[in-house]
Amino acid sequence: MQITKRLLCAGVMVVTFSFVVARAGAQNDADVDAGRRLFQGMCTECHGAGGTGGDAPSLNRPRLNHAADRTALANVIANGIPNTAMPRIRRFSESELEQLVAYVRSLGETTPERVPGDAKKGATIYKNQACSACHVVAGEGGNLGPELTEIGFLRGATYLRAAVIAPESSLPRGTLSVLSRGYAEYMPVRVVTNQGKEISGIRVNEDAFTIQVRDAAGTFYSLRKSDLNVLDKQAGKSVMPSFASRLSAPELTDLVAYLVSLRGTEP
Amino acid sequence: MKKITVLVAAVLLGQGSAFAQVSYERLVNAAKEPANWLTYAGDYTSQRYTRLDQINTQNVYQLKPAWVYQLRAAGTFETSPLVVDGVMYITEPPSTVTALDVRTGRPLWTWTPRIPDDVIVIGSPPVNRGVAVLGDMVYAGSIAGHLAALDAKSGALRWDVAVDDNKLGYYLTLAPLAIDGKIIVGVSGAENGIRGFVDAYDAKTGKRLWRRHTIPAPGEPGNETWGGKDSWKNGGGSTWLTGSYDPELKTLYWQTGNPGPDWNDDNRPGDNLYTCSVLALNPDDGTIKWHFQFTPHDTHDWDANESLVLFDADVRGRPRKLLAQANRNGFYYVLDRATGEFVAGKDFVKQTWADGLDPKGRPRAKEGLEPNAEGILVYPSIQGAANWHSPSYSPKTHLFYQGAVEMGTIFYKGEAVYNPRIGFTGGGGRTLNTDDSWSAVRALEATTGDLKWEFKLLSAGRTSLLSTAGGLVFGGTEEGNFFALDAETGKPLWNTQLGGSVRGIPTSFAVDGKQYVAIAAGFALFVYGLP
Repeated sequence: MQITKRLLCAGVMVVTFSFVVARAGAQNDADVDAGRRLFQGMCTECHGAGGTGGDAPSLNRPRLNHAADRTALANVIANGIPNTAMPRIRRFSESELEQLVAYVRSLGETTPERVPGDAKKGATIYKNQACSACHVVAGEGGNLGPELTEIGFLRGATYLRAAVIAPESSLPRGTLSVLSRGYAEYMPVRVVTNQGKEISGIRVNEDAFTIQVRDAAGTFYSLRKSDLNVLDKQAGKSVMPSFASRLSAPELTDLVAYLVSLRGTEP
Repeated sequence: MKKITVLVAAVLLGQGSAFAQVSYERLVNAAKEPANWLTYAGDYTSQRYTRLDQINTQNVYQLKPAWVYQLRAAGTFETSPLVVDGVMYITEPPSTVTALDVRTGRPLWTWTPRIPDDVIVIGSPPVNRGVAVLGDMVYAGSIAGHLAALDAKSGALRWDVAVDDNKLGYYLTLAPLAIDGKIIVGVSGAENGIRGFVDAYDAKTGKRLWRRHTIPAPGEPGNETWGGKDSWKNGGGSTWLTGSYDPELKTLYWQTGNPGPDWNDDNRPGDNLYTCSVLALNPDDGTIKWHFQFTPHDTHDWDANESLVLFDADVRGRPRKLLAQANRNGFYYVLDRATGEFVAGKDFVKQTWADGLDPKGRPRAKEGLEPNAEGILVYPSIQGAANWHSPSYSPKTHLFYQGAVEMGTIFYKGEAVYNPRIGFTGGGGRTLNTDDSWSAVRALEATTGDLKWEFKLLSAGRTSLLSTAGGLVFGGTEEGNFFALDAETGKPLWNTQLGGSVRGIPTSFAVDGKQYVAIAAGFALFVYGLP
């Protein structure tokens, strides 16, 4: 499947994997191909072509919320997911089920990358640059930005380098469960209330009538849109500063090596 | 016999409600008894409009929940409740029918059909959008491809027929339509390679009276639009949403879905009649009086199954009997429902596939926008500018209210090998589900499609609408808001958060002289009224 750069900008998180990842070789290519045909017939209506998401969540991610491994995925297909639109599908033969599982798993597989740089030095840079003010790693840190405990599992080095240099070029998507249907996560917003109070922060959640915002100090605001004079949603922007001028090239490489090494506890 | 029935019902309900027979005459005159909600869309016109005006623009801010009913098994909950003489009939996913005491929400009976483990449902979630009532029976379809008739007072099964074979991909999600002695249904399954049809069944016995295939066989007019190939056999044209009926013109209007395979048209050159069309049918025998095709040779899954709204209005000084639809392909259409003549039409969302409509209403489709292996971006999206979610028409404002979806999709073409068990779609799509996609409640001048006002919603959700004689339009959002707008201006007057996506279809009724509005959201049904 060819995905153009325009599509990448349009917004599905996964695309970067293809830059950095060779699909894990354990899978039989014929199985994956047979699974692709099954998927095309039965799953694309909700999950999108290539599992890129639609009415139902994207599946081209290394970790699926309801299917951490092959057995769990087969179980989800056979039994559905309670309280969701995912139906149980029991008309597959065992081999068809295996093929479908093989294909879906292939969509988001990543392998540990060999990257240049010194991860240990990178850890020091991470600390000195106060990245933990906004990001959690292994339970430590702030919550303005996404947790990074297993970011090396979720993202490749190319993406991570881009995120450090130009955060707005690689905004997080598909990492939170509260924002529905592929909405931009950690979107910067600036609001001015009818009383003239100005608040800047990130969007935590939103509906047609209300918006929930958290500012840099971690203060949470519940706002009704009818009480706002200004609601400036800065789509395509990030509250994270660029580190391009703050780090030397070797430092940047070390920091990326550290981020790539963060793989949490892999399934 | 009738006296006894009334007595028993009164005793059971304890409040003096009396279930009378729901005669065909009551259905024809449904608008005259607004305390009940007797058909899927309120009456045969599919206007989804209530003549109750107790809840109005001045007091709607006071709305409070009256009761909540929780699903017994969670699933996608898209029901449109009926209310008949003190009893509410809802469907629960996938195909359960439940009767509730409309005063309290307490269940009176529930009935669940047998659904085989290996049931085939492709192209939609396993949902059900409601029941029909006629006489003393309740009628419901199931994803197993059956139609059942239940005793309205007990839920006991009176008869059950297999509409068609689910092993071949036929299944039912729609609310049946009851007319004079007949139950009319359509089927889902165009993603499985079915050949669609509209069926009429004897309401008393379940005997099939006629079947009108939506894809003509060789020798029938229209078959030549399938390129002389066998593709018509699995050509789709499903009929998965409730049609409308004009008792005076004695005409049944039914909508048809996409041709199959959806995104691979290699084997179906031509217009592919009667897919993506409206069929005007003789209810006696199912013969076609006229047809109008909205999207000839569709390759983007733009079913034309959206509700068909019947209304009468003057057009250029001449009184006309009209039929309107906001189509999944992005255009709003007005037809003369006596003749099928195209009256007006224009796009009601961003669309990139056609340079408008020609004088006969046929789209001037642009070249080169068919799905391909690399993917091609087209607006509206694979889910369409409109879909199953109900529009509403107010005879008071003469506006057509539509939940309009602004979204594009990258369409892909893939292989298409007929196998109903695993689908026959030939590709797929990737929706642009980002902050760039959104939806709105749009009020269109009903005879022209001109935009009068819009109320923007956050995401590209699907909002079913109910307009009221109290000057309101009710709807819900993907994010769980249930709201009321001023029907004249679109100004939001009231909203609340229901805690789950609003997939239900709003209806209104009255009990003990008080008006209520019902809406399904998340895994529960909510009923709101004034304090």
